[in-house]
Amino acid sequence: MVGALLATALLLLATVYVRRRATLVPGRFQSLMELPIEWLAGVVRSTGGRRWAEFAGLVIAIFLFVLVANMIGLLPGVGVVGITVEGEHGGEETLVPFVRAAAADLNFTLGLAIIAFVAFVAWGIRANGLGGYLKELLIAEPAYMTPLLTPIHLISELSRLISLSMRLFGNVFAGEVLLAVILSLVPLFVPIVFLGLELIFGFVQALVFALLTMTYITLAIAEHRQHESGDEHAGEAPDHSEASPAPGTA
Amino acid sequence: MEFQLLAAGLAIGLGTIGPGIGIGIGFSRAMEAIGRNPEASGTLFVPYILGLALTEAMAIYALVIGLILIFAVG
Repeated sequence: MVGALLATALLLLATVYVRRRATLVPGRFQSLMELPIEWLAGVVRSTGGRRWAEFAGLVIAIFLFVLVANMIGLLPGVGVVGITVEGEHGGEETLVPFVRAAAADLNFTLGLAIIAFVAFVAWGIRANGLGGYLKELLIAEPAYMTPLLTPIHLISELSRLISLSMRLFGNVFAGEVLLAVILSLVPLFVPIVFLGLELIFGFVQALVFALLTMTYITLAIAEHRQHESGDEHAGEAPDHSEASPAPGTA
Repeated sequence: MEFQLLAAGLAIGLGTIGPGIGIGIGFSRAMEAIGRNPEASGTLFVPYILGLALTEAMAIYALVIGLILIFAVG
């Protein structure tokens, strides 16, 4: 939890600092801050369809937040500052660090996943209306398939929530365990390789969380638009919506 | 308790076979595509990462089952 608060504070500080002295020709620090935002905005624009600007902020915010939280958890030394707690059954004392990787806690990732879930459901309702959204959710395309497909559809909607949170949690938690195991096996030099690997994973998982949020929002918006107009994401949307009833894809 | 540990080990061990093969196939195809058309590497990156994440989700489910077996059962 402290890790997540630290990440929030860091991002806010950077935002305020850059906003204060923003210049048209960016300096070093401002360029560093603008780099991920511009890059991700480009990605969202190229894959997010016509209304990309509405949810680009959410996607970028999720990416930066998860990225900074992951990086804070990887800082060397943060894991050794903490309080010692007696074991539950009078066992050995264990050290509970103040700052640990925020995403190694299911509460953090589940909270983020709930935000993403609410976001894409809300965008779906806003784009298609409540009736349109419920019709899309509850009634299958050939109407006689409804009893078979509707439960699958509902499960796949809900499994998005679970898989979003579990993916981030599992990756970061497994990374922490991996680092601990490697540290206890070979304490010198070898953990550096795995630390580098965890840096890549932290970046990739932050990107995955943000991009999946974007994809779900795009799908929710585009579901009914396909036959209205042949805009640029119409070619991509049918692939996804055909794939989405399968429970494993979420 | 021993059988729970065995079950958790089997769950993650067997559960990562499929995603491992899947990620391998996806990665080899992505490399093939980049080899044929190196300029496409920029546009391939995001769909590749998404496919990787969806494939990897299966392994994460196995990990969750393993964690449940160790910590939550019994």
